[in-house]
Amino acid sequence: MLNTFTISFRLKNTYKANSIIYSIKGLPILNKILPDRLYKSGGLKVFANIVSVLWEIIGTFLGKFLYVLLMLFLMATLYDTNQADTFLHIFTLLTVIGAISNTYMFNPTKDKYYAIALMNMDARKYAISNYAYSMLKVIVGFLPFTVLFGLGVDVPLWLCILMPFFVVSMKMFAIFYDIWRYKSTGVVTNENSLDKFRWIAIALLLALAYGLPLIHVVISRTLFIILLAACLPLGIYGLIQILAFQDYKKLYKKLLTPDNVYMVKNASSTDVIRKNMEKSIEYDGSATSNKEGFAYFHDLFVKRHRKLLTKSAQKQSFFLLVTIAAVLAVPRFMPEAKEILNQITLTFLPYFVFIMYMLNRGTTITQAMFMNCDHSMLTYRVYRTPKVLLGVFKERLKTMISINLVPAGIIGIGLALVLFTTGGTDDPLNYLVLFVSVNAMSIFFSVHYLVLYYLLQPYTISTELKSGTYKVAQVLTYLVCYFMINLRLPTIQFGIATTLFCVAYTAISLVLVYRYAPKTFKIRL
Amino acid sequence: MELVIENLKKNFEKKEVLKGIDFRFEKGKIYGLLGRNGAGKTTLFNCLNQDLELDGGTFCIHDGKNRPLEANDIGYVLSIPNVPEFLTGREFLKFFLEINQKQVKGQKTIDEYFDFMNIDTGDRDKLLKDYSHGMKNKMQMLVNIIANPNILLLDEPLTSFDVVVAEEMKEMLKSIKNDHIIIFSTHIMELALDLCDEIVVLNKGVLEEIENSGLDDQELKDKIIDTLREA
Repeated sequence: MLNTFTISFRLKNTYKANSIIYSIKGLPILNKILPDRLYKSGGLKVFANIVSVLWEIIGTFLGKFLYVLLMLFLMATLYDTNQADTFLHIFTLLTVIGAISNTYMFNPTKDKYYAIALMNMDARKYAISNYAYSMLKVIVGFLPFTVLFGLGVDVPLWLCILMPFFVVSMKMFAIFYDIWRYKSTGVVTNENSLDKFRWIAIALLLALAYGLPLIHVVISRTLFIILLAACLPLGIYGLIQILAFQDYKKLYKKLLTPDNVYMVKNASSTDVIRKNMEKSIEYDGSATSNKEGFAYFHDLFVKRHRKLLTKSAQKQSFFLLVTIAAVLAVPRFMPEAKEILNQITLTFLPYFVFIMYMLNRGTTITQAMFMNCDHSMLTYRVYRTPKVLLGVFKERLKTMISINLVPAGIIGIGLALVLFTTGGTDDPLNYLVLFVSVNAMSIFFSVHYLVLYYLLQPYTISTELKSGTYKVAQVLTYLVCYFMINLRLPTIQFGIATTLFCVAYTAISLVLVYRYAPKTFKIRL
Repeated sequence: MELVIENLKKNFEKKEVLKGIDFRFEKGKIYGLLGRNGAGKTTLFNCLNQDLELDGGTFCIHDGKNRPLEANDIGYVLSIPNVPEFLTGREFLKFFLEINQKQVKGQKTIDEYFDFMNIDTGDRDKLLKDYSHGMKNKMQMLVNIIANPNILLLDEPLTSFDVVVAEEMKEMLKSIKNDHIIIFSTHIMELALDLCDEIVVLNKGVLEEIENSGLDDQELKDKIIDTLREA
């Protein structure tokens, strides 16, 4: 048993260390310097191992610390009920939720998939030893904080010490129920896709945990002690059943399917994106095109991806129209808001850089372009000839800009209207600048994403995103836009500067695409 | 016309995969490219298709005089078929014919092309995403042939076909070989011996032609295996 555990622990550590090295190698510049031998390199491996072990330790304590602090301690102090009892009340009900939703045993993790499904380790030994380890982590991780924060709200020390054991007992009893259910019905619980009864139970328990104290109802200390006393033997009974159960192999065979392992936990995995993208193709036989050549090709792409491309922009536009209508109505009910709104339109323009960033769907659109189109077309040499490549680029740019301009136009007009109805401005140029600069930002983001895609083409033939430079560029874009949130600048100056920047950026990047894309726009090998 | 490769080198980090390839491929022949797993066959194709930068050497087309390869010169059929899934078979062909107008010789109607590839009438207006693996492969092969490139690189193209279609494809390749240089990579030696005019082996980063004059099939097989074993 111990041997199985050691092997599985080392396995987990090895691939964690490897993924740390992999991410380091994914960074621009570093990837040129660092060789593949890195995975063998002793020093770095030790470093990655230390990081991985540190992560394990942090993972043991940090989550529990935040949980006890935020969900129990701080919440317990918000009500005017007895703090110690409220603390125990919330703790009890959340522990039941945890027992249902956080089982460890029935979580289809990659660790289990690699060890049991791929490497054929002894499922029972793996399950029991790793389960024991995770329960130990629960106790060790909880103990310091139940004591620290428990004493903070005057829960007796002995109860604070027993609280982690309550958690573990409840969890083990829940596992016993799931194993029993599997034995009698063959249904395996997957904690990442709980059935609706469990969701209802969770919602109900959550409401009771934080709702009852509002009406001054909390579990009394005596009741808690009774529950604790009842739960400990139930936990031990659960443990005996967990140890007696033999069929872990069959159970995990059902649980550890690639779909379960990769789908829910890791929704950004390339397989899922690819499958979703493939599903996004709409075809009823009627959508055709009268155009020719690459215009025809692109037209069909747009028509077959209507939902993905245009529907969400339509939804955005609808939402924006409603919001703007609401904002325009505010001064009627709250005349004092008039001046604030007026000031917002005159100084908050930088904030709209972030809003336009959030509204722009460039990343999703270029992703769809790759997954459903370029992934296959780039393997045809003729598709990469400058004429075809730039022809398709031009069509795409037109589409990207026009899709995103609709919500942008609404915001532009909306802002100008808000300015007008809240007292206007001395300088009418403000109206024009508001409208033009918001639209310029929208065009900027459309160009930016498409140009990044054409110049860095970050995907491999297996649709994996491989370019570190691309990731860095995306993060930088986000950071710059985020930084804008805190800027307050006069609309005219900022608007004109932004518009000029957008025009210059667009011009320069289009020149770059026309010059370099025929070389850079290809599948990464 | 010849495809002339001179001292072509490709490294991945410090590993030399192609160590200086020298070879002349002639028009009118099908070359069977054999090599062990990881020998660099796909790397060689990727270099010729200009998907990878070379680390040394050159390649060009010699047609009276040397000239660099252009995009239209190359058709590359991958072992895993890649077709744009949002188009129907007919739309894909229409698009391809339009962007290759200049290269296509004696253009036929779309349905004639489908007939040439034995693609059923009922499948022609279906989305490519609903095509079977083998049918996608046929489409990939078809558009590469339509574009009429001087050089056709085929990376294990017949493995996903059923025996009947594989036989059809072999006949089709033989029927077009006079106008092309066809390089055909495969792991199936029988296929190479049956279909190809010349056998070339990629071993230890260099290309080597297997001289087959005066050898019967078994002797030739033994010779190929011996060459491949020299690792």
